[in-house]
Amino acid sequence: MNLLEIENLKTYFFTEAGVVKAVDDVTLSVERGCTVGLVGESGSGKSVTAQSVLRIVPRPGKIIGGKILFNGEDLLLKKEEEMRKYRGKKISLIFQDPTSSLNPLFTIGSQLADIVIEHEKVKKEEALDRVIKALRIVKLPDPEHAIYQYPHQFSGGMKQRICIARALLLNPELLFADEPTTNLDVTIQAQIIALLKDLQRELGMTLVMITHDMGIVAEMCKYVVVLYAGNVMESGSIEEIFERPHPYTEALLKAVPRLDETRKLISIPGNIPNLIDPPSGCRFHPRCQYAIDLCKEKKPPLEDVGNSHFISCHRWRELQGGRS
Amino acid sequence: MGLAKYIIRRAIYMVPLIIGISLVSFLVMYAAGDPIQLATAGNPSITEAQRQFLREYYGLNDPIPVQYLRWLDHFVHGDFGKSLYGGRPVNEIISSLVWETAKLQLISILLAFFISIPAGVYSAVKQRSAADYTVSSVAIFGISVPVFWFGIVLILVFSYHLGWLPSAGAHGAPYLWPVFGIKNEFLDELAHLVLPVTVLTFANLAYNVRLLRAGMLEVLRQDYILAARASGIPERKVLYKYALKNAITPLLTLLGLSIGAMLAGAPVTETVFSWPGLGRAYVTASLRLDFPLIMGITMIITIMILIANLITDLVYAWVDPRVTID
Repeated sequence: MNLLEIENLKTYFFTEAGVVKAVDDVTLSVERGCTVGLVGESGSGKSVTAQSVLRIVPRPGKIIGGKILFNGEDLLLKKEEEMRKYRGKKISLIFQDPTSSLNPLFTIGSQLADIVIEHEKVKKEEALDRVIKALRIVKLPDPEHAIYQYPHQFSGGMKQRICIARALLLNPELLFADEPTTNLDVTIQAQIIALLKDLQRELGMTLVMITHDMGIVAEMCKYVVVLYAGNVMESGSIEEIFERPHPYTEALLKAVPRLDETRKLISIPGNIPNLIDPPSGCRFHPRCQYAIDLCKEKKPPLEDVGNSHFISCHRWRELQGGRS
Repeated sequence: MGLAKYIIRRAIYMVPLIIGISLVSFLVMYAAGDPIQLATAGNPSITEAQRQFLREYYGLNDPIPVQYLRWLDHFVHGDFGKSLYGGRPVNEIISSLVWETAKLQLISILLAFFISIPAGVYSAVKQRSAADYTVSSVAIFGISVPVFWFGIVLILVFSYHLGWLPSAGAHGAPYLWPVFGIKNEFLDELAHLVLPVTVLTFANLAYNVRLLRAGMLEVLRQDYILAARASGIPERKVLYKYALKNAITPLLTLLGLSIGAMLAGAPVTETVFSWPGLGRAYVTASLRLDFPLIMGITMIITIMILIANLITDLVYAWVDPRVTID
């Protein structure tokens, strides 16, 4: 049994301008102990998917359909108080911006210890010991002193280490890392990626890496799920996806600069669509170089094309034939 | 930077401020007119010589710098002089009124502060719900409605028609107001407080709720709130511990300002309820150009505001570790 199975998840935002279908019919699964990449442009529904699993989608967002099976149990059927016990304890989330995701008015020790106290009903001293241990795991220097400091006293990289420690505090089974390196310097990015890789291996944790960086995906992930405009375009092993990509993934890969090649970067024409009134049929068709009339009319189903590779494209098979 | 050193430095900075404010008030007051002329205007039998004598008696004929220095000399010795009306020492007048005003204002300000916390938080959490619109409407009503009108309506309803509560004064002695048939001084004092406190709380509450609601709406969008929820912190704690502490700073500023200005804060309410307070005395003194009393009350208010500002700054630094005092 997979640790996490998301089936036909729909999370919509009921804004004054209209209903934004941020996550629309997303199906994916995450195998226990694996690192899975959740890839897509900004606004493709990656973060909302993670927030939906924890059921912390901010207003006016609402999960309106689907199933989220965690260890076989549907999280969407849990009562709020039951669900609270999953958050931080069984499923954790690391945010994109460490500066804004730490409360500026509380010491590191007090905001992290609170999490231990709320879940395990321990005394403050014991909770602080656990916090120090977690800070040591993420290699934060001098954790005994750090717990008495405030977030603004740390650098961005150190803050992200603290955020990782917060997510790991209660040894969760599943960790979502939502673009954890986007707001960091390049050198710090490499350190944080290395840290996450080590932690995943040492703790045997299941990691869902949310990113738009194909380089990070290639380095860390065994499986990849590609989202576009709230829909799953494809999912499969890293080899399958790099070898036989969906037209969208193909375009995405061509837009990644490489050091070993001198070629022009090809950007994807157009913009990510307005999700209040998304394109008909395949949501990628207005920007797809292979699009035909069928793509506009009918939404392609997510099909198993072998080797656990799932593709949502009318023309993929035909294009593969032509390519090989 | 030591706390004591900081407070001492701020206190030293207050000295030129106090002198400056007193100087400006003094000059403005003298520009306003002649108190002797005003006081004797209704008396046809008074002669110019008698007026001149009165001016001489109160030292009003001396050059203004001399008068100011004389006032300053008395002020630094803690003496505000005597009222032009009745000759009571200003210190005595102020000390007899200050407690009544402080009592009325402190209760109202604190009540408004503590009521606004759940109201503001609730209204932000339930943004655009019927409850939010209700809270906001009541708040806007509180901001817009004139204090004297609201006070008179309350007096009409609860004193005149229902006869439940006294309409004037701070004390009923010797005729104590019966509360559920019981007569004692404490209950009498309480009964007299209800209506003016209601009016003032309502007026203060409105600003507090609007400020806190706006602050909470801003804070609730922050990642650290989502992160607290994602860590399994119960919603009540997320709101009242993690969000509130970030949203409450504007409210603390307002609280500091209100407490600083409280002695001058409610002349209208005090007048409507015939409250024996400093606000009403201040207005009366200004209309009569009772120079020593005006200066006395002005200086008390100035000092209160300066001290309240200092305390507000200290509280700020205590709430927000990013604020340093130096």
